[in-house]
Amino acid sequence: MKSVMPDMQPMNQTVQETPVFQVLTEDQIEQIYFSALEVLERVGSRVHHDEALELFRSSGDAVVGDDKRVRVTTSLVERALKSYPRKITLKGRNGVRSVALQKDHVYFGTGSDLPFTYDRKTGERRRTQYKDIVDAARIVDYLPNFDFFMSHGIVGDAPNPLTYDRHQFMAMLEGCTKPYVVTSVDGEGLEDLWKMACLFQGGENEFRLNPMFVAYIEPISPLTNDRTAVEKLLFAAEKGIPAMYTPCPSSGATAPATIAGMLVQSLAETLLAIALCYLKRPGMPLIMGGVTTVMDMRTTTYSYGAPEMALASAANTDISKWLNLIMFSTGGCSDAKVLDEQAAIESTLSNLTAFLSGANLVHDVGYIDSGVNASLESLVMNNEIIGMVRQVGKGIKTDEAHLALKVIDEVGPGGEFVTHDHTYEHWKEWFLPKLMDRSDWETWNAEGAKTMLDRVNDETQRILDEHEPQPIDDNTRKELKKIIDDADKRHSK
Amino acid sequence: MAVDLGQMAELLIAGKVDDVEKMTEQAIDDGMDPSDILQKGLIAGMDVVGQRFKACDMFIPEVLRSAKAMGAGMKQLRPKLVASGAKMAGTMVIGTVKGDLHDIGKNLVGMMFEGAGFQVVNLGIDLDTQVFVDAVKEHKPELLGMSALLTTTMPKMGEVINALKEAGVRDQVKVMVGGAPVTEEFAKEIGADIYGANAASSVDKAKEVLEA
Repeated sequence: MKSVMPDMQPMNQTVQETPVFQVLTEDQIEQIYFSALEVLERVGSRVHHDEALELFRSSGDAVVGDDKRVRVTTSLVERALKSYPRKITLKGRNGVRSVALQKDHVYFGTGSDLPFTYDRKTGERRRTQYKDIVDAARIVDYLPNFDFFMSHGIVGDAPNPLTYDRHQFMAMLEGCTKPYVVTSVDGEGLEDLWKMACLFQGGENEFRLNPMFVAYIEPISPLTNDRTAVEKLLFAAEKGIPAMYTPCPSSGATAPATIAGMLVQSLAETLLAIALCYLKRPGMPLIMGGVTTVMDMRTTTYSYGAPEMALASAANTDISKWLNLIMFSTGGCSDAKVLDEQAAIESTLSNLTAFLSGANLVHDVGYIDSGVNASLESLVMNNEIIGMVRQVGKGIKTDEAHLALKVIDEVGPGGEFVTHDHTYEHWKEWFLPKLMDRSDWETWNAEGAKTMLDRVNDETQRILDEHEPQPIDDNTRKELKKIIDDADKRHSK
Repeated sequence: MAVDLGQMAELLIAGKVDDVEKMTEQAIDDGMDPSDILQKGLIAGMDVVGQRFKACDMFIPEVLRSAKAMGAGMKQLRPKLVASGAKMAGTMVIGTVKGDLHDIGKNLVGMMFEGAGFQVVNLGIDLDTQVFVDAVKEHKPELLGMSALLTTTMPKMGEVINALKEAGVRDQVKVMVGGAPVTEEFAKEIGADIYGANAASSVDKAKEVLEA
C-alpha cells in the first residue's frame, strides 16, 4: 500500500526552464573567482571575533595580522567549497517541505526589518509595529506566489531592542506558516529563534533534516566582519542551521564602481565565510548571498530599483551555480516612495531577471522607499508580477501534444480552435491574471473604471479581512512565550 | 425512472454534450413537459454557467462546451416547444459585413446565444447588404447581429440598417452590432438597438432589450 508521509507533500516548485539566460560567460566567472581568491590572499578581510581568528590561526592556512586582517590560502577556500550541500529543503510550520533549494528552483519572499510602514488608513509613513509584521505575514501566507517570509518590517514596539528579534519571529510565526528567513540581534538571539523553531520541527536533529528557516547574516562591505555577524555564523555552523552570509555592497561607495569589481569583492567576502564555516564545522548548510547594487550619485541612496542591481544579482547567481552553491538574491523592490508606476516597473525588472537567472531565494519583494518603507500593497502587486514572470520562465513545451500538428490539421484553414478539445485541455497552462485587467472598455467602465492600484488596494483589504492562518496550539504558544520572556528577563538587568 | 432534471443541469454545467442531448431525448420520450425540461434542466444549468463565468470560476472554453450542450438539447426540444406554444428565446441571425473576413468573434457570439437558448442562423462572413435583408425576411428573427473588426468595414453596418428600413422590415427585428472598433456611440449613430461589447455581455443586453 502506498503511504504518504505528511512531509512528502508536493513541493511548490517552479523551475527556471528557459534554456539560456546567463549574463557571465564561464571565462568571466573564472576571472572573477580567481580575482576574489587573489583578494583573500593579498588583501584579506578583517574579522572582529576571537574564536574565528583562532580558527584561522590554527588552521595553518591563514595569516592573521595584528589589525585582525585575515588572509586565506586558495587551498583552504577550495577545500571548503567542496563541503557545502547543493540542496537544502525547508519545511514550514504547516508541515510542508515546500522550498527545495537546488539548482534552478526559484522561490520568492519578502525582505526584512523595514523601520517604516505605509499606513493604509492614513496614507502616512510611520514606525513599523508588531501588528504590521503579523499582517504582512498573513498576506504572504495567503499569496500563492510567495514561498518564504522574512519579517518585512522591524518590530518597533518591542519592549527591548536587544530582544526585538524574538518578538519579531513570534509575529512571523503567528501570521505565516511558510518557511522563513530570519534576522537576529546576535548569536544568542539566533539561538533563541532556533529553539523556537525546534518546537515545531520536533527537536534539534529534526531541524537539521527539516530546517524551518535560513538565518540571514551579513558582513560589512568592504571586507569587514563584525562580532555579531561572526557569532551568528559560528552558531549556525555549530548547529547545522542554514545560513546565508550576504554582502550588501554599494558600487561606487563600499565597493568598486564597476560591476565586475563589486562582484570580485563581494565574492571574496563570501569566500571568507565559506572558509570560516568549514573550519568550524565542514558541511554546514551555507548559502551564497549578495545584495549588489549601486549608490545613486545624486542622492547617495542605496538603490533597490537600479538595473545594475538586477544585472549584478544575475551575475552572482551565475557564479553561485558555477560554485555549486545555493543563491540568495533580490527582486520585487523599488526606490519609489509609494506604490506607483515606478514601483511596478522596478519590481518587474528585478523579479524577471532573478527568475531567469535561476536564483533560489529571491528576497526583498515588497520593499519600497529604497529599503526603508514596508508596503503590504506591494506584496499583492508583486504576487501578480511573479505569476507572470514564472510563466515566462516555464518556457515552452514542444512534445507531440504541444506541437499540435493533428489539431492544426483538423481545424484547417479558416476554422476555429476555441471549441476544440485541445484548447479545452491546454488553455489552463496559461497564466491566469487576477489583478491585470483585460476587459473591454465598456465593462471596465461599468465596473468602476478601477486602476491597477485600486484593484491592488481592494485585494489587500480582502486578504486582511478574510485570511486566517493555521493557528499555533496553546502548548506550543506557552513554550514560545517562555523563551521570549526568559530573553526579556535576561536583558532587563 | 423519470429523468432527473437537476442531473441534466449538472451535466450541462460540466459540458457533457452527448449526455445532455440523450437525456433531453429521454425526457421527451418519457412525456415530460417540454417547458419543465427547458426551465429546470437546460436553463437552470446555463444560469449557473453564467454566474460562474461572471465570478471567474468558468472560462470561455468551458462556457462554450456548456453552450454546445445547451444547443444539442435545444435541437431535440425546440419542435416540442413550438408545438406546445411554450415561451422560449427566439431566433438570431448573425453575420460579418461586406469586406470583412473576420469569423471567430462573430461565431463566439453565436455560440453564446445558442447557450442562451436562441436558434442561431450564422450567415457567414463578407456578406452583401442584401443577404442580411433577405435573411431577416426569410427567418423572421427577433435579433440581427452584425460584426465588423475593421474601421473600414464598420460603415457597412449602417448601410444594412438603412436597407432594412427601405425593405420595410426594420421594425420587426432588433439590431445588435459589435466588433473591436465598434463603440456604444457608433451603434447609436447608425441606429442600432444594441451594442455588444463582448460575447457574454451581448447576451445579457439582448435579453434585456427583447424582454422589455
